[in-house]
Amino acid sequence: MDFLARIYLPGVLALGGALLFALVALAAYVQLLGREDDDATRAFARRAYGFFVLSVVLGAGVLFVLLLRRDFRIEYVSQYSGAELPWFYQFSAFWAGQKGSFLIWLVAGSLLGLPLRRAAGREEAPVMGVYLLTQLGLLFILVRESPFVMLSQTPVDGSGLNPLLQDPWMVIHPPIMFAGYAASAIPFSFAVAAMFRRRYDRWAHLAFPWALGGFLVLGTAILMGGYWAYKTLGWGGYWGWDPVENASLVPWLLGTVLIHGLHMERRKGRYRRANLVIACLLYFSVLYGTFLTRSGVLADFSVHSFVDLGISGWLIGLMAFFMLGGAYLLVTRLPSVPTTKSEDPLLSRGGFMVLSTITVGICALVVALGTSAPLISRLWGPPSQVGPSFYNRVNLPIALLVALLLALVPYLSWQGNAPREVARRLTWAGVFALVATAAAGFLGVHQPLHLLFVLLAVLALGSNLQKTVDKVRQGGLRAAGGYLAHVGVGVILVGFLASSAYDQSAKVTLEQGVPKRVEGMTLTFNRFVPRNGDQKERMEVSVVRSNGSRYLAYPQLFLNDRTQQVMAHPHVKSLLLQDLYISPIEYDPGEPAAARRLHLRKGEEATVAGTRFRFLGFDLNAEGNALQAMQQGGVVAVGAKLDVVREGRTERVLPLYRFTPAGEVDARPLPLTGGGEVLLAGIDASSGAVQLEVRGVEPRAAGPRPKLAVDVTRKPLIGLVWYGLYVVLAGGILATAQRLRDAFVLERAGV
Amino acid sequence: MKRRQLYLLGTVLLLAFAGFAFTSFRQTLTPYVSFDEAQRMGRTLQVAGALVKGSSSYADGALSFTIREPKTGQTMRVRYRGIKPGNFEDAISIVAIGRYAQPAQVLDADKLLVKCPSKYQGIEQTEVKTYG
Repeated sequence: MDFLARIYLPGVLALGGALLFALVALAAYVQLLGREDDDATRAFARRAYGFFVLSVVLGAGVLFVLLLRRDFRIEYVSQYSGAELPWFYQFSAFWAGQKGSFLIWLVAGSLLGLPLRRAAGREEAPVMGVYLLTQLGLLFILVRESPFVMLSQTPVDGSGLNPLLQDPWMVIHPPIMFAGYAASAIPFSFAVAAMFRRRYDRWAHLAFPWALGGFLVLGTAILMGGYWAYKTLGWGGYWGWDPVENASLVPWLLGTVLIHGLHMERRKGRYRRANLVIACLLYFSVLYGTFLTRSGVLADFSVHSFVDLGISGWLIGLMAFFMLGGAYLLVTRLPSVPTTKSEDPLLSRGGFMVLSTITVGICALVVALGTSAPLISRLWGPPSQVGPSFYNRVNLPIALLVALLLALVPYLSWQGNAPREVARRLTWAGVFALVATAAAGFLGVHQPLHLLFVLLAVLALGSNLQKTVDKVRQGGLRAAGGYLAHVGVGVILVGFLASSAYDQSAKVTLEQGVPKRVEGMTLTFNRFVPRNGDQKERMEVSVVRSNGSRYLAYPQLFLNDRTQQVMAHPHVKSLLLQDLYISPIEYDPGEPAAARRLHLRKGEEATVAGTRFRFLGFDLNAEGNALQAMQQGGVVAVGAKLDVVREGRTERVLPLYRFTPAGEVDARPLPLTGGGEVLLAGIDASSGAVQLEVRGVEPRAAGPRPKLAVDVTRKPLIGLVWYGLYVVLAGGILATAQRLRDAFVLERAGV
Repeated sequence: MKRRQLYLLGTVLLLAFAGFAFTSFRQTLTPYVSFDEAQRMGRTLQVAGALVKGSSSYADGALSFTIREPKTGQTMRVRYRGIKPGNFEDAISIVAIGRYAQPAQVLDADKLLVKCPSKYQGIEQTEVKTYG
């Protein structure tokens, strides 16, 4: 049985079982369609779904155990794990490859189905049917490209995990991202189910908390990714407009559009058709992003370099199936969707929400087009990508418009307002924004567009903050979620502008011990700090700021043991108003000091540059008995007891000389506390003398000194990006809590 | 009547934005070209090549190295003033995005994309795609 020898049976059985149970559950839900009172079929379908979840979780468990056991027979394990990889990074290894990431996506998706089937209420059959189809798509890929393939020959060790992925953030960031992707299938399922059944009155209520939840999870994942890139990877920023980053941003923006659209549909019964379209687009954008980043079509355009695993065909097939199916339903059903004919007055909450939502939608479209540039440009020439400047330029007017609309929305009512009244309510926020703009101008923001940006962003912040406070006073915290999130958006916008347009950076080469002025600070490269246990090699740089305060920065630059890659981690000092970002570029150890050779008999001493070395005698028991080891033919270790006297202080050291009868010698330099090192280079048993090599105890000669090249960047107000995102997410959590309660109340009432 | 004017205004604004987005798109495109073409084009572009071992040096705040075009065997000097990518030495292929400086005979790169050996992807050889 050749086939059986090439697969790991328990894992394949688990995934095969999952496929079987998913198909059974799908068939049962199809049976249940139109016969909602058939409790036996419902119970059967639910049980089948439960077994599907169990099988998926089991499959993932098997892969994880294989990783933990470092079972290198398994191709996936040998590709992404290694004997020396610590156990917690086996999580990162789990989702380091394509197959593992599809598996964790499926785990998240199948688990989300458990609460979903209850929450869907009377829509359970169609919603779960569609949702199961989305799960089956992933499952087909996993069955086709199984992570449980075995190698014909078992390697001694695996290739190890890419050192860039050996980071605590990589343990938690990807599963949250995939949970967000998995959640995007839920509003899609509700929308398709609604169109399929031609029942449009409830789906917005039911889908709303899920859309909000997915938005939160994806937002959290994006935040983590940005933070990881900024703090650990040393990419110099939190966002690079890389295709992989954009592939998560577009669904998040469309999620933003969807939650606002659903909010309006719930309140006013309007925009039903638009919401159905958006819910479909949201899921399509996830599929399309997955195709772009995982099929290898953008391999030459992304730092996250993915190669084609041979699944492009599958991904295209999946996309085609869902897009064509969704499009067919939309085209055939939309004309008959009942809508209200009346229109909102322009200067009303509804009118402005529509405008701002459309603007965010345009932003999503622009980002999606930019990311697709390598595909689009093939139409007329060589494949080309657009640089970050495209996104920055095009998004500037979008951000300005969003900020303006956000500032006005809280003080508009659904019925429409008189312009004078709106202006009156904005007085305080307006004064606040003017003061902030004047302050920005005073601090060096002179470009008119940037000043307008600050004005509008702070206006949005202020007006929503005022409204949040009002709401909290009136009805408790929960009604304030939306406004609070908009406060966060204002904060983020200010952070974006300050940290991207007003950062200042300089590259300097620091000679050891020589202070240098950079960006109003004085930097001195003190020393290279050798590896100490788990603490990798790092550089010590003392920084004196213009106000006289000082701190020690430790940018890291070290060789990864396995791959011999140079790894660099920046040092980030977060101050109240700015971050000081010191990124190591290159370390030049300079010329090692010349060695002085000393030949000493027992009791003799010699002086090197004011440091006295006295040889006290051999230590034959430094590592077990040396004479015994010599008779047995093992490794013989002989120590030389030395007194090192420098500036009146005496240090007792014991450098070792190890050798084998075969003639292999191992002697290592022993660092001295006052600087420099001593090495036991040879022993002369007949005369009882030692040969010592002494380095680095004298003040440095004229030879080149060690040099450290660093990139020093001041990033003003970058903290606002993080704090703003926290506020947005906090607002989102409040809103979700509120809507979840509404949804359950609605379900109980049996509407 | 008033509403129709507003719609008209909205359409005009949208069209203006679309035009702005389109020109920005065209202007910021960085075509993927051969070494030959790169030396003739005076705009931001990108080239891909294999790092010539031992050719990299760091001086005056810039990293310099040579890449070789797999198809033609042509080499090109690249200068990069950013932060050195973590896996630079390990690279099998480097994509450099920047502008070719004619007098200095060097590509001034704003951005580098470093392709690691495919061992992390589990495939023995990754084909370096070339275009043009």
